[in-house]
Amino acid sequence: MKSTKYSEKVLDHFRNPRNVGTLEGDDVSVGKVGNPTCGDIMEVYIRIDGERITDAKFRTFGCGSAIATTSMTTEMVKGMKLDDAMKLTRQDVADELDGLPPIKMHCSNLAADALHEAIKNYRKGMGEEVDEEHSTDDAEPECVVGKEEFLGKGVWKAVDDPEDFRDLRTLILHSGDESVEAALELTDYTDRVVLLTPDEEIMTTPELMERLRNSKVKLLTESRLLEIKGEFEVEKVKIFNIDEDEDYELFVDAVVIIE
Amino acid sequence: MKQVYLDYHTAKPVDPRVVDEMLPYFTQKYGNPSSLHHVGDVATEALEESRKAIAKYINADDDEIIFTSGATEAINLGLIGYALKNKRKGNHIVISEVEHISIRNIAKYLEREGFEVSRVPVDQYGMLDVRKLERRITDKTILISVGYASNEIGTIQPIREIGDLAEDKGVAFFTDAVAAQGLVPLDVKRDNIHLMALSSNDFYGPKGVGALYMKKKYRVNPILIGGGQERGIRSGSEDIAGIVGMRAAVDIMKKEMDSEVKRFRQYRDQMIKQVLDEVPDSHLNGHPTERLASNSHFRFDGIEGESILLMFKDMNIAVSTGSACTSKTLEPSHTLIATGLLHEEAHGSLQLTTGRFTTEEDIEAAMKAVPEVVSRLRELSPIYDSKKR
Repeated sequence: MKSTKYSEKVLDHFRNPRNVGTLEGDDVSVGKVGNPTCGDIMEVYIRIDGERITDAKFRTFGCGSAIATTSMTTEMVKGMKLDDAMKLTRQDVADELDGLPPIKMHCSNLAADALHEAIKNYRKGMGEEVDEEHSTDDAEPECVVGKEEFLGKGVWKAVDDPEDFRDLRTLILHSGDESVEAALELTDYTDRVVLLTPDEEIMTTPELMERLRNSKVKLLTESRLLEIKGEFEVEKVKIFNIDEDEDYELFVDAVVIIE
Repeated sequence: MKQVYLDYHTAKPVDPRVVDEMLPYFTQKYGNPSSLHHVGDVATEALEESRKAIAKYINADDDEIIFTSGATEAINLGLIGYALKNKRKGNHIVISEVEHISIRNIAKYLEREGFEVSRVPVDQYGMLDVRKLERRITDKTILISVGYASNEIGTIQPIREIGDLAEDKGVAFFTDAVAAQGLVPLDVKRDNIHLMALSSNDFYGPKGVGALYMKKKYRVNPILIGGGQERGIRSGSEDIAGIVGMRAAVDIMKKEMDSEVKRFRQYRDQMIKQVLDEVPDSHLNGHPTERLASNSHFRFDGIEGESILLMFKDMNIAVSTGSACTSKTLEPSHTLIATGLLHEEAHGSLQLTTGRFTTEEDIEAAMKAVPEVVSRLRELSPIYDSKKR
């Protein structure tokens, strides 16, 4: 079946998405699901009065069905009781849209999950203090397979001469401000500089952060470098996405690990 | 509203002049070249004339052209046929990371059959580094496959260098020329190409016809067994009407390619400049200069390709994307990934390809649509906004 074969209702919600945007206030809760790797990210905002949802809005990055299902979900839940909203399933949303192509049922139909997430977050906030999953930033030393093997063959422990990196796709491990400065410097020599950190954002000075934001440096947060690969020199790396608990490969020509 | 078609790398209309030349071969000149009577002779003549014209067009000899049912069959015959024929010499094959999906899948098939396959990475523009290719060649290597140009991002490979290297190392060089044909002058002798796949449709001929160029001494095993047509290499009664169509398409191409390519190049350069100037956070995929004249390939931060495509569809503009959401496997384009993009970046791509019947108005319509579509989708996007925060 053609993946673009959508029902008229899906197309209508895609063309004229309802309730686009965000909500603010103490009575607002947000649920966020998906990841950019698989191509869909959805945020559902709900305003809650007592046990009832009074307003809902959304933002979605994704394909046609991703946009349509979030739009439909926000329409369906307005005025709904929280308990009923918790029971709303992906299938309910798909049914209301006169169905989705089978291939889209799982990948792009996460809006109900985002809604449930928002309700859970709200209830968590109402109830007793729930222990946040404590982050494991006990600075364990990075163990990167291939680091020593590729030293001098694409792995660098310092950026002495940026000219060495001309036109090379360069991955830099964040390790203090020196690595941030190196990343910024290299953007004059190559189009592709990726700065990687296991943290949710790059920890650095406000001044460097501002420069990073305005630069071409691609930030990869909540990510760990697992392995450096290549037949004779660095050709790709394996990266672990901590948030999504999955790994993937990225083609690069150079890796900078400043210790 | 007029339909604007900017997806020529995916399919091309048959040139009406080609159809005119084909028509007699359906109802009047319907013979089978294997027959010895006059009706058969007419077919034989059309077949051999077509072979000669196509051979000449790529600077090959007549007996180096095998007609097939399309490029996919030519690719199967060239790769599987050559590998099986030469497996006693070695079991190692080298391909690029940006080969067409059919070649990637054939490589996987050959791996299951006991061959070893090495894959050569490309740079950020999708260009193969010949030095990296050379390092992978061993005394077991029998075959190299590198597509002439990318059907997705349009990057043209250093074909002559690869051909020279292959010749030097005594390894067969196969190239899938489908994306490049009609856009760059093909010359198998100049480039030391030993095996090459062509499609009729990419010359504006009918679909369902193609050809394998097979240099003398670079023989392949047949993969279709039957009555022994095409010197036993490709059995099955020849599709004379289709083959005549391919020949007619080549004849037109010979005359019109130069001026056509000049026009495509203007469209391309105009589109690339305009999109990169007018749309913030937009990027060009593929090589800035070494790219097919017909190909413009962009990516836009924070939005997804299927959504882009659907919005263009509503505006009656047909385009392509490298997004996972439109593929059968839900995987993003392996070509974009090989250039070093993350999945999320590969998702937001838009491919505009021009062809013979593209007009200035088509380009204008697309250029009007791009900024509109991108900003509408970015208004919905949670990640574009957070990028700016």
